[in-house]
Amino acid sequence: MVVFPPTTPQEVIALILYIITSHTFITIIIFPGFIHLTLVVMFLTWYERKLLARIQLRIGPLYAGGPGGILQPIADGVKLIFKEIMIPYKADKPLFLAMPLMLVLFAALPFAVIPFGQHWVIANLDVGLVFLFAMTSLFPSMILIFAWASNSKFPFLGGLRSLFQQVAYEIPMWVSALSVVMLAGSLNLTAIVEAQSKIWFIVPAFLSFIVFFIAIMAELERLPFDLPEAEPELVAGWFTESSGAVFMVIFLGLYMKVYLMSSLVTVLFLGGWWGPAFLPQPVWFIIKTLIVATFMIIPRGVYPRLRVDMLIKTGWTRLLIIALANVFLTILLIHSGILSAWGI
Amino acid sequence: MALIDIPPDLTFVALAAVTIIGAILALQARELIYGAVALAISFIGVAGFFVSLDAPYLAMLQIAIYVGAIVVLILFTIMLVRREVGEEAKDRPQSGEGSVGLWLAGLLSLAVSGVAALAGPNMPSTPPSGSLPVSALGPTLATQYPIPLIILALLMSATLIGALVLAKVER
Repeated sequence: MVVFPPTTPQEVIALILYIITSHTFITIIIFPGFIHLTLVVMFLTWYERKLLARIQLRIGPLYAGGPGGILQPIADGVKLIFKEIMIPYKADKPLFLAMPLMLVLFAALPFAVIPFGQHWVIANLDVGLVFLFAMTSLFPSMILIFAWASNSKFPFLGGLRSLFQQVAYEIPMWVSALSVVMLAGSLNLTAIVEAQSKIWFIVPAFLSFIVFFIAIMAELERLPFDLPEAEPELVAGWFTESSGAVFMVIFLGLYMKVYLMSSLVTVLFLGGWWGPAFLPQPVWFIIKTLIVATFMIIPRGVYPRLRVDMLIKTGWTRLLIIALANVFLTILLIHSGILSAWGI
Repeated sequence: MALIDIPPDLTFVALAAVTIIGAILALQARELIYGAVALAISFIGVAGFFVSLDAPYLAMLQIAIYVGAIVVLILFTIMLVRREVGEEAKDRPQSGEGSVGLWLAGLLSLAVSGVAALAGPNMPSTPPSGSLPVSALGPTLATQYPIPLIILALLMSATLIGALVLAKVER
């Protein structure tokens, strides 16, 4: 019998057991929460390096234990933790140290609404997609504040570029997600995945998938859109001045965002957890997400970087118009009844 | 099932503290950037109120639109009150006026809440049951309030066109 507050030792043990076996604890701490996120993000950094090395006919990480140097992220982490944290002269110390942590926090928070399986979701919010929209809209401010707090030229220029880019691409991104919402008839991510049991939304909403993918590549500042950290011009962009553990935390936040956006693509377009029954639902989800992440990594080894004016022009004049046109196309599709065979 | 019931009053007090302290810090901050950050925290407190009032959609939009748009404010502060790279923040002269305003505002809100507590009927601490689901928002707006919706749309397009015209004139 679980009581609160506990009085006898048995009750304390019962309370602890009750807490660690509760659905809330397991989903927050183990899966899909903290431990799973950390492991996958560590794996992603290794995976990106290895994949890029293969594209460029190199070997990549090799010596740090395990097959193919899979323990490389741990080695990197230990190295970065033991490095000195350099804080630039007259930088704004509290904001400089707080913003990387906020970045990780707000990259990890949206996982609360991502359904990894029918029951593997921390918070089944009715407005899950709007929650994601709210959380991701905070990134430009945090990046700009961090860039400003560094009190140095290159981070500030990188921060401004990041702001313009993220604001420009946020709109086509969420407008293209709108057609998925219309097809599913809900903002709840679990309901959106449930609606894809017969057909994945990549088929009826292919155009919005393309727009969404391009827009998240720009949101994540990945090549060919990595202007905010253009090495030849801006050293390392908005995190030029970060070092040691600060850099590690930023890196963690950025890769967590990559994982977040890949899983969002999986939820919205690739049918989430649906798949043949021989594998459990979360496994299907993670497999699909890693495939999406692979397609996000490959351009880094293949394409050159865009210019700023090309980037902004593409965002505002092409992607936004395609996304808006796609909304009307989806309305037509729904009302014409072509999709009624799949229960939409 | 919840083992511990958090009283709604406690949630309210915590959220009110976050909102009010954020607002005070936003006014009192020595550095304008800190003021913007404090304003963001205050807005997040307001979003918390919306959640506790069973309006999560509004809360999310509050965060997305107000807190997200703080970035523009930050940009303006950086651009307008810009300090040279490598220079330290200048002290803003602290006068007594700010605290006078604070005391006045505090007294005023105390008086208002006192009057409300004495005179008015008790406000319900829990939201009315059967609050509107998000999917009902669109039909309600389109069927019950079509005229305000159209006026808002016209206003927004007027704003956009105005912004475009202003931007063109400068060139």
